Amino acid sequence: MAIAVGLFSRKVYQLWRYLRLGKADGDFGQMRHRLLVMAGAVVGQVCQWKGLSKRDRAGLGHVFMAWGFFTFVLFYFLFIIIGQGFGVSETLEETSFFFYYAWVMDIAAVFVITGALWGLIRRYVIRPPRLEGEQTLEALVILVTVLTHPMTHLFKEATSIALGHPPAGLGASLPPISAALSNLFSNSSTSLVEAANVGFFWAHWSIVLFVLVFIGYSRYLHMIVSPFNVLFQSPPPKGALRPIDLEKAENFGASKITDFTRKQLLDLYSCVACGRCHVNCPAQLSGKRLSPREVILNLKEHLFEIGPQLLRGRAEAENGKELIGGVVTEEEIWDCTTCRACEQVCPVGIEHVAKIVDLRRHLAMEKSQLPPSAQEALQSLGTRGHPWRGTTATRTDWVGNLGIKPMSEAQGVEVLYWVGCTSALEERSTKVAQATARILQATGVKFGILGSEENCCGDPARRLGDEYLFQTLCQQNIELLKGYQVQKILTTCPHCFHSLKYEYPQFGGNFEVVHHTQFIADLMANGRLKPGGLNSQKVAYHDACYLGRYHDIYQEPRQILKAMEGLSITELARSREKSFCCGGGGGHLWMEEPPEQRVNARRVEELVEAKVDLVATACPYCLSMLEDGIKAKGLESLKALDISELVALSLESKEKKQ
Amino acid sequence: MNAIVCVKQVPDPEAPPASYKVDAASNRMVPAAGVPMVLSPFDEQAVEAALKLKDAQGGKITVLSLGHKLVRDVVKKGLAMGADELVLLEDETFADVDSWSTASALAAAIKKLGSFDLVFCGRQASDWNAGQVGLGIAELLGLPIVTLAKKVEIKGSEARVERVTDDGYEVVMVPLPALVTVTSELGQPRYPTLKGIMAAKKKELLVWKPADIGLTPDQAGRRTQLLRLFQPVRERKCEMVGGATPEEKAVNLALKLRDAKVL
Repeated sequence: MAIAVGLFSRKVYQLWRYLRLGKADGDFGQMRHRLLVMAGAVVGQVCQWKGLSKRDRAGLGHVFMAWGFFTFVLFYFLFIIIGQGFGVSETLEETSFFFYYAWVMDIAAVFVITGALWGLIRRYVIRPPRLEGEQTLEALVILVTVLTHPMTHLFKEATSIALGHPPAGLGASLPPISAALSNLFSNSSTSLVEAANVGFFWAHWSIVLFVLVFIGYSRYLHMIVSPFNVLFQSPPPKGALRPIDLEKAENFGASKITDFTRKQLLDLYSCVACGRCHVNCPAQLSGKRLSPREVILNLKEHLFEIGPQLLRGRAEAENGKELIGGVVTEEEIWDCTTCRACEQVCPVGIEHVAKIVDLRRHLAMEKSQLPPSAQEALQSLGTRGHPWRGTTATRTDWVGNLGIKPMSEAQGVEVLYWVGCTSALEERSTKVAQATARILQATGVKFGILGSEENCCGDPARRLGDEYLFQTLCQQNIELLKGYQVQKILTTCPHCFHSLKYEYPQFGGNFEVVHHTQFIADLMANGRLKPGGLNSQKVAYHDACYLGRYHDIYQEPRQILKAMEGLSITELARSREKSFCCGGGGGHLWMEEPPEQRVNARRVEELVEAKVDLVATACPYCLSMLEDGIKAKGLESLKALDISELVALSLESKEKKQ
Repeated sequence: MNAIVCVKQVPDPEAPPASYKVDAASNRMVPAAGVPMVLSPFDEQAVEAALKLKDAQGGKITVLSLGHKLVRDVVKKGLAMGADELVLLEDETFADVDSWSTASALAAAIKKLGSFDLVFCGRQASDWNAGQVGLGIAELLGLPIVTLAKKVEIKGSEARVERVTDDGYEVVMVPLPALVTVTSELGQPRYPTLKGIMAAKKKELLVWKPADIGLTPDQAGRRTQLLRLFQPVRERKCEMVGGATPEEKAVNLALKLRDAKVL
């Protein structure tokens, strides 16, 4: 036992030292809240419940195993430390401790066995896609030890009962499973049962000690590490990228494993290769190279491979294997749409997106190695303040005869409408800006726009890794907004919404920011806006990543749709937090994609399956991507409209009736 | 390898045409609101051509620009991309120049800079598209010139230049020093690294006045006279050709085209 504990401690110490190779994280703060979240994830198994779906109920198996396992550990603790250690075993015999011990352990064993059998069958017989290629020896050893550990316990108890000396204090109420198993031994000779009893005892404890040592070398590690990974998750807001101090930083982004922070390295330890991220990643599902799981596992392997050398103080370059290109390919790095589907489903709190962006930061700012189409978008952002290269529109063309005043001329403005580059400059999307303006005018909201003074919010630059360009734009915008003493900002784009509301405060820009779905839902709730009806049609709402998964705005868009007569609303198979990316995030709206690997094509197929007439969106990226996908498939019966367009249409039809 | 690259600051050529207006009274273009200044794209490619040579065999690149009230962040782009020095010919007299006076001033500055192996220019500037300055400099300095280069390499005391033609390209050998004008087939210019941008910000630049390069005010002024600057009015008429069947429509279309003397 001492040897096992020694080996375990040595390995843990080594892993601890690897972890210290990472850069220090900032302050974590909010410890009480964090501890509650951790307790929920571990004890409550929230980590598993949240990921359950009709298609994937495997999380329940984990809940069975975990709860059973915790019970075992708790009783080991009570039994060994308190019972044996403090010599109160005999005193305990007089209480009902052993009664509970025997019964609870009996049931816990069944829990674990059920979970383990389910796991074995799933992994080796059913073989669902997310476990593809994961039929490894390591996984088998883990599942078999998980299975045999409670089994040996049960048989040890059963043989004890068969020998006529069940745990003390039980009286006639024997634990049901062990008692039933003891019948197997009723015809065996006493000596054989005695031998079996001793054998099961040693088998049981050998497994315990083996597992203790094996923890440090296998995915069993997640039992110790992942609670801490959940504890130290990046503080809210979700998905806000960490700023770089451009004046002080010596290098930008990550090109070596030691460029990651300790929490980012802890992520690597926590991964159990469950594959949930792999089967939910839009890049992977559309046939691209990126698999979030592979990125994490390859980084982990790389850390373990070069960890010993790094600890001896040798530079990483001596190892010969470059992180970018060798461990993670450039292709994988640029495939990501930053949709956060991977982070949403990850049960152990791994943050994939920020790591990918860190790698992009190195490529963009240190190496200037960007996909040509991404570079063009960034160049346009840098010189013209918008990523729409080649547009023939100016930022105020969409206004037409709507009579909207720029902030420099407007007075008594209630809210600034931040139009966003896409709604201002991309022809199809200008209709969204017009519809939004009409709704505001119809409800008497006093608003202004920045017009030709408006710049990109910086989202594409930040997601493509050009933090410098992002910060330049962000600081210009903050100055401009402060100059007009703007209090409240309305956006139609969830990407602008996310940047302005959740990332600008990093640079001193604190504004009240609302998305138009929130604003319209509010206008409806307080009676300022009464929508009319629409032609009867079947509609599905496509959740935008930066609205849903990033900021949990699921209700408002649906409320707006429900408020309009004529629409029969249906939910897509992937919706809300499980929604599927349109393929436009992370700079991809401006990047070229091979036709056979387009994310939007997959999403349009799902729309076709849902047999809807109309898909409602609340993001110009989604609208543009879905419309392109619909056009590419030549579907004439399927339309895509922004929610604001639907509301504006309903107002028009109401006016006509009056 | 020492190279000098001539670059011009122009209003964004990709700005919507509607942004541009002509002031008939002064015969000038009105500075358009919201249209940023940029380096002329062909000139960026000229910088890229020089940087490719520097990547291959080292050397020094000096960027040269001429104008009045030049935007520092714009003209410094060459430095951010990796050039070593920046010299500005900046003066009020350079506010209204033509191809001849530009070429004269640049040639004088190049002479003052001294030794060089290659001078690079964009094939033409994207604002007025005259395409004469490169040729002018070569003439004034007595340099051999190769235009429309898509690839430039140094081979000993000569440069090997791939020159774009109507249906492909030809390979030209030219003795150094020489002047090369670069075309877009050279490829996308590099995106400056952050370190490059930061270094460019800190970099001191030289500003020369006409007197510094030995030009009299008379030499700095223009020789050509602009008679009239105007935006052509483009009219478009759209007519749908009718017909009961596709064949009939095609016949009607053919007849109309013949009437319009297109066929």
